Amino acid sequence: MSQTDSIDPAECTKVAEVGDIPEGRGIGVDVDGIEIAVFNVGDDDYYAISNRCSHQQAPLCKAGEEKINAEHTWTQSRGSVNTEECTVSCPWHLWKWDLETGVNEASGQRIGTFDCVVDDGDILVRI
Amino acid sequence: MAKAIRRLDADAEVPEEAFEVDIVDMDFHVNPIEERLEPYVEDQRALDRLTTEFGMMPIPDKWDAAYAIEEGNEGLYTQGRAEVVEDVERACEMLAVDEPVVNAGLNLLPGQHHPVLKNAVLEAGNSYMLDHFVDEDVMTALSIPKWDPEFAMGELDRWGDEDGVVGVYSWFDPREPWGHTKFDPIFEKLESLGLPLLLHGSTAFWPQHSYVGDNMITWTEVLGFDWPVHTMVNVVNMIMTGVFDRYPDLNVVFQEGGHWWIPFARYRMDEFYEMHPEDVQITPRKFESGEHYLDRSPSEYLRDNIYVTTQPMALPRRAGEAKSMLDVSMAKDTFMYSSDWPHQTLDPPTWFFNSRAFRDDQELRDAILHENAYDILRT
Repeated sequence: MSQTDSIDPAECTKVAEVGDIPEGRGIGVDVDGIEIAVFNVGDDDYYAISNRCSHQQAPLCKAGEEKINAEHTWTQSRGSVNTEECTVSCPWHLWKWDLETGVNEASGQRIGTFDCVVDDGDILVRI
Repeated sequence: MAKAIRRLDADAEVPEEAFEVDIVDMDFHVNPIEERLEPYVEDQRALDRLTTEFGMMPIPDKWDAAYAIEEGNEGLYTQGRAEVVEDVERACEMLAVDEPVVNAGLNLLPGQHHPVLKNAVLEAGNSYMLDHFVDEDVMTALSIPKWDPEFAMGELDRWGDEDGVVGVYSWFDPREPWGHTKFDPIFEKLESLGLPLLLHGSTAFWPQHSYVGDNMITWTEVLGFDWPVHTMVNVVNMIMTGVFDRYPDLNVVFQEGGHWWIPFARYRMDEFYEMHPEDVQITPRKFESGEHYLDRSPSEYLRDNIYVTTQPMALPRRAGEAKSMLDVSMAKDTFMYSSDWPHQTLDPPTWFFNSRAFRDDQELRDAILHENAYDILRT
């Protein structure tokens, strides 16, 4: 998340700029072979988490994508980002991941999370 | 040293290798909305009485998948809603599926009560699929009603020889398995048309009671285990009543009925039959023909005439264990890949590229991903 006080930007990698990621959505980046999903939960807060759901390797960065013919469905999006709870639901089977801890409560499984900061308009991730 | 950063392709959702292999999806649901379906209802009297999306108001089932899914009933459309060819193509592109076998997804129909209205909706669904998919050269499985074999024959006469119809879609349930002789005209017709019978699970059937157990109240119990039990009941019934001795070229695909039960049925059927086979002669087809026994061991029909779709694959993580299970399941001869798009149990073809069980055996992988499908579909 965006707490610059304890993280040295020099240790981080720029993955996007503020404005690149709409609130409630994410992007996927590959940094030295590590796939990371970065989500905007609003109020200049961004979270970085492994891009692959541990269940079946779905790309979490697509959570919140509009469904095909969304107007004829009820929830409109494939998976979702819950900005209040700071969770992301997988676009394939809705496994819910805590963006801060990387934990899926139902299975007890955990995926990697990464420090993420905003510095001078850049979104930085520490690998 | 500067890190290598790359923005991920937003469209590709499965491993890159998946795009290099021909993938046939044996269970892709199209879901036309009510307004698009209505013009295809032939009889005004039936149309006037269709009050809900897929027919008359359904009577609540004792169990609903929605209880288990955060999005509730939206689980049926977790991925979206395909209505026309372009929608199907978009979805398949993301999953590296080359050839989907589409069906009209009217899976709530078997649970409805009124036979005339059920037939009207089923017929309309087929007409819609003929116009929007068969005519567009998409491999399509059109539907026949299990509840009305005579109407089923009429539907087969109407579109059975259409190019682009690659299979026939219906449903299985435990109440009246498909071994009953009243289905023989359908089997004979399918053999002559060269069309496989694709039987899909349904959350309900009329009358609406699972015969497995009324206290089954969770998604895991009902969808996870009720349907495989229903599948086994149907498979064993068809084999033991001589369906495949009378119709040796008939191929039957069970969709969403699980697949890892095959070793159990394979060995248990043979064991029981070989111990005590004397009642086979008094099953209706054998009694009529005067034959005493099955022509072959029960497990041989399982290998040759029965297929199962793999969704969800649920492969053991250890490749050695996965390989053993695939071997005893006769997977090379019986398994067919399916995604079940757009439902909550969606199964993208990741297993085939992430598990060493398939990486080390591309012949097996190709059999499941496309060869078994091309062997039996009328293409």
